[in-house]
Amino acid sequence: MNLRLAFIVVVAGLLGACTGNHNMIVEGGRFPVPLMDKAPVRLGVYLDDEIRSYVHTETRDKKSEWTVDVGGAQLDLFSNLAEGVFQDHELVDSSAAGHLDGVLKPSIKEIQFSLPKQTRTNYYEVWIRYHFQLFDKEGNPVGEWTLPAYGKANTNDHGSTTVGLQEAALAACRDAMAFFSINFVREPVVRNWLAAGKPVVPPAPPVNTPAPSPADPQAPAVTSTEGSQT
Amino acid sequence: MIYLRILQWSVVTGAICLLAGCVTATVQQVRETATAMNEEDSIVVLGRRNRPSKAEAELDFVECVSRNLSSGENPVQVISEQQFVDAMFPWFEPRTAPLSTTDLPELLQQPLLAERIREIGLKYLVWLEGSTRQIAQAGSMSCSVTPGGGGCFGFLTWEKDSSYEASVWDAHTAKTAGRVSSDAAGTSYMPALVVPIPIIARVQNSACSSLAGQLKQFVRNDT
Repeated sequence: MNLRLAFIVVVAGLLGACTGNHNMIVEGGRFPVPLMDKAPVRLGVYLDDEIRSYVHTETRDKKSEWTVDVGGAQLDLFSNLAEGVFQDHELVDSSAAGHLDGVLKPSIKEIQFSLPKQTRTNYYEVWIRYHFQLFDKEGNPVGEWTLPAYGKANTNDHGSTTVGLQEAALAACRDAMAFFSINFVREPVVRNWLAAGKPVVPPAPPVNTPAPSPADPQAPAVTSTEGSQT
Repeated sequence: MIYLRILQWSVVTGAICLLAGCVTATVQQVRETATAMNEEDSIVVLGRRNRPSKAEAELDFVECVSRNLSSGENPVQVISEQQFVDAMFPWFEPRTAPLSTTDLPELLQQPLLAERIREIGLKYLVWLEGSTRQIAQAGSMSCSVTPGGGGCFGFLTWEKDSSYEASVWDAHTAKTAGRVSSDAAGTSYMPALVVPIPIIARVQNSACSSLAGQLKQFVRNDT
């Protein structure tokens, strides 16, 4: 009887290992404040519930579920980022902040990851696609842009899949921070808005009105995408 | 009498070699400019991580070289890799780190960065590339467990090769000071007669200590 019970326990354990869940949580506390000249702008940072609780869930091979939880790290990430990049900043809870120059609203559009056995390399890799919306002080959209970030972790350095993917996700978050910091004032949407004196953008025209030229610094909702290199 | 002494030494050396596994290490250096370090100067050892590569130095190897540089005879002041990349964030991240010394002057022109480098007393940046790989394996071993006990029988052997190169950049002149490379190879054995006895050649450790030793001499200009 005991042997049968032991056999069942072993088989159940093995099946559990094959169909196991993998939960990766990226925690804050590992994001430094960027060392750079601050952009001459006072911005509110609006982190809504969606980004603060962002969890990527994926089922692979119909038997294992993978979750990459990066939401918990976003507050620390964007607080430190704003402290280093903007002249002044504040966490706000809407896209309008009358006492500041404008509001930045980041969001995560997509997360992808790959495992060493898929790519036949020594790397766990994570890609995160961030999306940024810039609003003037009255909450009118100034423009938006996307930022693809990439992070990797070597199997030689991280024994377990969970730790390897966690480190790769953390590296992707740091990559997003680094690329955002260096390119914020070069971003066409931001550059034009700053050059125009951070004006209040007129509300978006009715749907059938032709869109203004993108060269116009006061043009609402300009879109661009930053490149990524791996 | 003298033959007996030689025989004793040979047996002792052979036993040590067998228990630890034998490793041969070669170190080479190329100097491009003169180097020197004062008491207040520090050095940082960084792994190249700009793209996925088979020659990406392991984190523990980078830590080992840093540890060896800061200890032993004539230690130098070392800043840890993580501490340095955090202090210089975002300029030494995988996507933003300078790839050659030609990128350094532009970076060091930024007053905040130059000030931070002065604050931490950074004199040399050492970029590490390379890895340790298993290049051959032979033999076989089988183990069995029975109600009366268990045991293994067989013989395994494997060979590892470490190859690393350190490029030394002078943070004050923004020029390459030189390169130091370390190659080590060794064979490990595992005979098993009931109980397996691993005789491990510490190849990576040997490459680390020889590279760190040579780097120490290089930056202090002792060679």
